Amino acid sequence: MTAVANGPIAGSVPSGRRVVLENISQCYTTDSGDTVHAVSDTSITVESGEFVCIVGPSGCGKSTLMDMLAGFLTPTQGTVTIGGERISGPGQDRGVVFQQPNLYPWLSVRKNVELGLKLRKIPASVRRDEAKRYLEMVGLEQFMDRKPYELSGGMQQRCQIARVLANDPEIILMDEPFGALDALTRERMQVELLQIWRKRKKTVFFITHSVEEAIFLGTRVLVMSARPGRIILDETINISDENGSPLGAELRSAPEFVRLRDKVSTAIYEAQGVTGMSPAQH
Amino acid sequence: MSTIVITAPDDQQGTSTPGKKSRNHARTARRRQTAIRLAVFAAFLILWWGVTAAGLVKPLFLPSPGAVWHAAVQANSCRPVAAGVERLVCGEQNYFMWEHLIASLQRIGVGVGMAIVFGVALGFIMGTIKPINTVIEPYLNFLRSLPPLGYIGLLIVWFGIGDVSKIWLLFLAAFPPIAMATISGVGGIRQARIHAAQSLGASRWQVMTNVILPSSLSEIFSGIRIAVGFAWTTVVAAELNNGIPGIGGLAYISGTQLQTPLTIACIIVIGISAIALDALIKNLGRVLVPWHGKA
Ligand SMILES: Nc1ncnc2c1ncn2[C@@H]1O[C@H](COP(=O)(O)OP(=O)(O)O)[C@@H](O)[C@H]1O
Ligand SMILES: [Mg+2]
Repeated sequence: MTAVANGPIAGSVPSGRRVVLENISQCYTTDSGDTVHAVSDTSITVESGEFVCIVGPSGCGKSTLMDMLAGFLTPTQGTVTIGGERISGPGQDRGVVFQQPNLYPWLSVRKNVELGLKLRKIPASVRRDEAKRYLEMVGLEQFMDRKPYELSGGMQQRCQIARVLANDPEIILMDEPFGALDALTRERMQVELLQIWRKRKKTVFFITHSVEEAIFLGTRVLVMSARPGRIILDETINISDENGSPLGAELRSAPEFVRLRDKVSTAIYEAQGVTGMSPAQH
Repeated sequence: MSTIVITAPDDQQGTSTPGKKSRNHARTARRRQTAIRLAVFAAFLILWWGVTAAGLVKPLFLPSPGAVWHAAVQANSCRPVAAGVERLVCGEQNYFMWEHLIASLQRIGVGVGMAIVFGVALGFIMGTIKPINTVIEPYLNFLRSLPPLGYIGLLIVWFGIGDVSKIWLLFLAAFPPIAMATISGVGGIRQARIHAAQSLGASRWQVMTNVILPSSLSEIFSGIRIAVGFAWTTVVAAELNNGIPGIGGLAYISGTQLQTPLTIACIIVIGISAIALDALIKNLGRVLVPWHGKA
């Protein structure tokens, strides 16, 4: 459970790179020929080591933004640069946890987790250890030799998370990763993710529809407006006790937490065009 | 309170019995099905035997089941050339019947084997590189719509009357369905599967071998199954020309020589082999693609 990776595989990419989205827009053409403006003229600068949570109404372009960061989609306008370099497609430096598990059914759970390391020709013994470490972390060590389709949806999702973390990317992109998990597992995974982020100095982009999750995890919360998506609130989160160390489980009842939650929720409601309704009632 | 305690085990039984019951039910149904099939088959044999024994049809047109069986046994064994002669003659047309069958299967093996190698390779290229697909697709469609026996004459001119032209024929017959199935398999892969591998650091080639190939395996197998069925009907027909050894050749020659019992024995062997071959590939696919339909 507490086996947070401090493993032998150092990130293969120099750390400390800044991520810059500059005036990016994305338009889709639907099959019926309509143009959908999914993301509009958005600029974000993220320093290395930030934990950025993105919230917003569904369909506002969060996944689209993630696809552009991952390099699956080229922005129709604007540029995405990492450490000053324009990205040219997906790469190992940006690990992606998808909304769907996307595991490979011909590989066992363990082999799925090992895949990234195998693609990078890392020796089998090291691969095995790393896979085991992360599978233990997500609580799947007993299911290592199963096939993905023999696991529940939530277990498959945890396996995907292990697969991405084991590959040690510099930047982690997560699209509603804990949506399919039960509350207890979800909280455990949040804590594990925070530990990894702290120990290994990752930059994290984390999409969620849970405001509490965003504030609990993030050092920064971005709120996106409804289509066409743009950033309407950019809030730095800094909740700590008197000694300056981050709060643990009691964080959710801290006055600062409540204040931020209301602020972010209000922004989301306004983004949806619903005003005059207090989010606290929900 | 006590009722809950009592009903709980009842409930458990309630949920386990239907499963067991339906499994039993399925087994009885299957057994009954087999019994019906055997009975119908026996009735068919009796009818066949009755018709021939009563002399309703001349043996030349319809030999008795016994004669067919005898022809099959004789085709797989050695016998004296004539009564009272020492010299033995073995099988039919200088080969045992099983050798004829093996010869046909061998042609299939080589022809379809090559079609698998080249068909999958071409399907991959066409499935991943759009311009190549655009250029080649019409030709593939054209080849697919040709009945192979339509161009056997040309192949004989090019490659001679021997095995080479037959193997080319089988290759050309089996190639299009395999290539088409591969294209459709490659085209049907969810983009996210490829994206996941790319984000793990996979190169183009690694995406091919680690994601695209296994993802399309199931469709490739359906293509191979279709191709083998097609190749089998084609080889039997192709053996009309210089088809000895070959089970189709034997069926044809024995017919022209009025050995009707042997012809019928050959037809039965051809049919059973086709079914067995199909079942073999189907099961091979099940073993190699156990995730089919599950993920
Ligand atoms: N491939 C596509 N073609 C056309 N429209 C799309 C496509 N993908 C997404 N969209 C549209 O773009 C908008 C943003 O989608 P998405 O980024 O998935 O939203 P979110 O992840 O915030 O729910 C939605 O309105 C969606 O309908
Ligand atoms: Mg989404």
